[in-house]
Amino acid sequence: MVSERAFRGWSLDVRIPLSERVLALSMATQKRTVAIVGPSGAGKSTLLRVLAGVERRATGTVVVDGTPWLDPEGGVLLQPWERGVGWVPQEASLFPHLSVRENLRYAGASDEAAREAAGLLEVDHLLDRRPRRLSGGERQRVAVGRALLARPTLLLLDEPFSALDRPLRDKLAATVRGWVDDRGVPLVLVSHDESDAEILADEHWHLSQGVLQPSSGTAPNEGTRGRAR
Amino acid sequence: MNLFALALGLAVYVPTDAPAQSAEPNTLLVLAASSLTDVLPAIGAQWEDEGGVPLRFSFDATSRLAPQASAGAPADVFVSADEAWIEWLEVRNLLLAGSTRVVAENELVFVVPSGFRQPSGAVDLPALGRIALAGENVPAGRYAREALVDAGVWSTLENAIVTGGSVRGVLEWVARAEVDGGIVYRTDAIAEPSVRVAFSFSTERLRPVRYFAAALASSSDTAAARSFVGYLEGAESASAFRRSGFLIPSSAGPTQGPGAAPAAIPSVASAIRLSLIVALLATLVGLVPAVGLGWLLARHDFAGKTVVSTVVLAPLVIPPVVTGFLLLTLLGRQSALGAALAGLGLSVPFTVIGATIAAFVVGLPLYVLSVRGAFEAVDPLYEELSWTLGVPPRATFRRISIPLALPGIAAGAILAFARSLGEFGATVVLAGNVEGSTRTIALAVYTLLEAPGGRGTTWTLVGASVALSLLALFGYEALSRRQRRRVRDDHGL
Repeated sequence: MVSERAFRGWSLDVRIPLSERVLALSMATQKRTVAIVGPSGAGKSTLLRVLAGVERRATGTVVVDGTPWLDPEGGVLLQPWERGVGWVPQEASLFPHLSVRENLRYAGASDEAAREAAGLLEVDHLLDRRPRRLSGGERQRVAVGRALLARPTLLLLDEPFSALDRPLRDKLAATVRGWVDDRGVPLVLVSHDESDAEILADEHWHLSQGVLQPSSGTAPNEGTRGRAR
Repeated sequence: MNLFALALGLAVYVPTDAPAQSAEPNTLLVLAASSLTDVLPAIGAQWEDEGGVPLRFSFDATSRLAPQASAGAPADVFVSADEAWIEWLEVRNLLLAGSTRVVAENELVFVVPSGFRQPSGAVDLPALGRIALAGENVPAGRYAREALVDAGVWSTLENAIVTGGSVRGVLEWVARAEVDGGIVYRTDAIAEPSVRVAFSFSTERLRPVRYFAAALASSSDTAAARSFVGYLEGAESASAFRRSGFLIPSSAGPTQGPGAAPAAIPSVASAIRLSLIVALLATLVGLVPAVGLGWLLARHDFAGKTVVSTVVLAPLVIPPVVTGFLLLTLLGRQSALGAALAGLGLSVPFTVIGATIAAFVVGLPLYVLSVRGAFEAVDPLYEELSWTLGVPPRATFRRISIPLALPGIAAGAILAFARSLGEFGATVVLAGNVEGSTRTIALAVYTLLEAPGGRGTTWTLVGASVALSLLALFGYEALSRRQRRRVRDDHGL
């Protein structure tokens, strides 16, 4: 187990010109596991895209664990393939031309590791299937497995188990929580499910109508401030 | 000589197209050999001034006009550059009895680009490089072949000879010094300032180049048609013909010269083989540019994107003849690029290389459009995901974008292949119509349609052409469907 003190948190302060408005997101946290909840369309997924480095329209600052990932003044821009994030977008998006096994091993994991992760997420009977032969919930679990197998320095989960029924959903959420806790991997969860957020994250933020603020009851630790614009 | 004249000479390749709408009452439609393009309208104006029925003209190679007349073009008068075609019409009872008249004569001359060495007679020709003739079944091409056979140099020249469409096309190649010389009518040579007449082929033994006028049986005003034929034979016309460099025959009526050269029948096997080779080469050469440009246009925004896209797509809408003309300007041996390529042993005009380049350029727009569509159908999310999994863009392109777009890329290749198979206009201008090296199916059909006895072979080639094209399109459809399925696989929870 890695000490939580080793992680120095992350912060972002960015502006993203969307087609109909400019989305301004600003927050800072020192917690290792953070959930962002709020209504759909508020920009939660966009926040994850900014952290993943694939939101090319974003300008501003992103600092993760003391390292600037996006810093227009310093000119530092860490490319997505240099960030080592494990990103599970909402669409789950398995590579359609690859089998489950090939998807899991995409970032270079061994076959053994792939089988182990598949077992953890209860998809080990599907290893040789193509994504189109999977249910929505199965795809989500494979996508989570693929992200875990990339040895992420930051795990980004966007509604990861939304297609699963409650008991299995909670069970897998707990499994993933155990996995990140064992390895000290920081996690950002986007969800509008309170139960997911409770299991997976210690600190909860609320994003709605462009305003990002800590939820009551899970106030950020001292030194962590959220600003809303 | 300008682009228009070249297009006029080379563009028409659907010979059964009616040349004009049905004649209005009280006008005569005159179908006339293209070497009369300059002189006949002058004579016609004179005829109208003297109260004659108004005239309209359609100029083309006699070998294309005669089948049009036989297919029922609503024409009144036919002016042929070749006795054989007049006979061809006569035996089909398409001429008004007794209306045929010889109205003018021409002379076959050897022309060279101005400033080039001028041979003094046919015996000097083997020392020259490339020599251009009109198509074998176009009258000017037949006369030229007969003249070379008569001079005893045909067999030694056979490999040096490139053939095109009409006399005007030959003249254009000589004027641009793409060839070292060519055989054209004297009247055409006079009209072109960039060529010099080296010598004339007229001898007693050769069949004279004679223009025959006849009234067509299909005429709606046979009296006026006969009257105009008579006018062409008269003194006013004679002086107009002379002013344009034609000769006036001393004795009227058809005279029999020595036997005309037989019609040239292109080899079916050679045409099909060449078509497949050229189309395959053009498709392979196009693969990297098509994938590169397709990717660029699908995934990148950059200054000048519209310009790049427009230039790439231009050959789709520019007439292929014009594309061929531009390519000849760019890659001909008088151009810097063409000279550099020739230095490397890559001669473009009149070679398989030229035919391939023409097919490549004309096929590229469909290729790029198809590939671009395939890349656009791939959700960028897959590429973004791959990046975040530590795979940089170049490797992501190889591992994600290409495999996901593969059916669409293959469909584009097949479409480009099919387009290359059908390529005609740019090829005939850039690469000519040379048996065994640039005469593909389309060009062979074009050649055959000008031969009086070529219809049987034509059908073999037409069948091959249609079958290959349909097969290719079938493949395209199947692959396109597969592309749509491929990218639909994983979405929607």
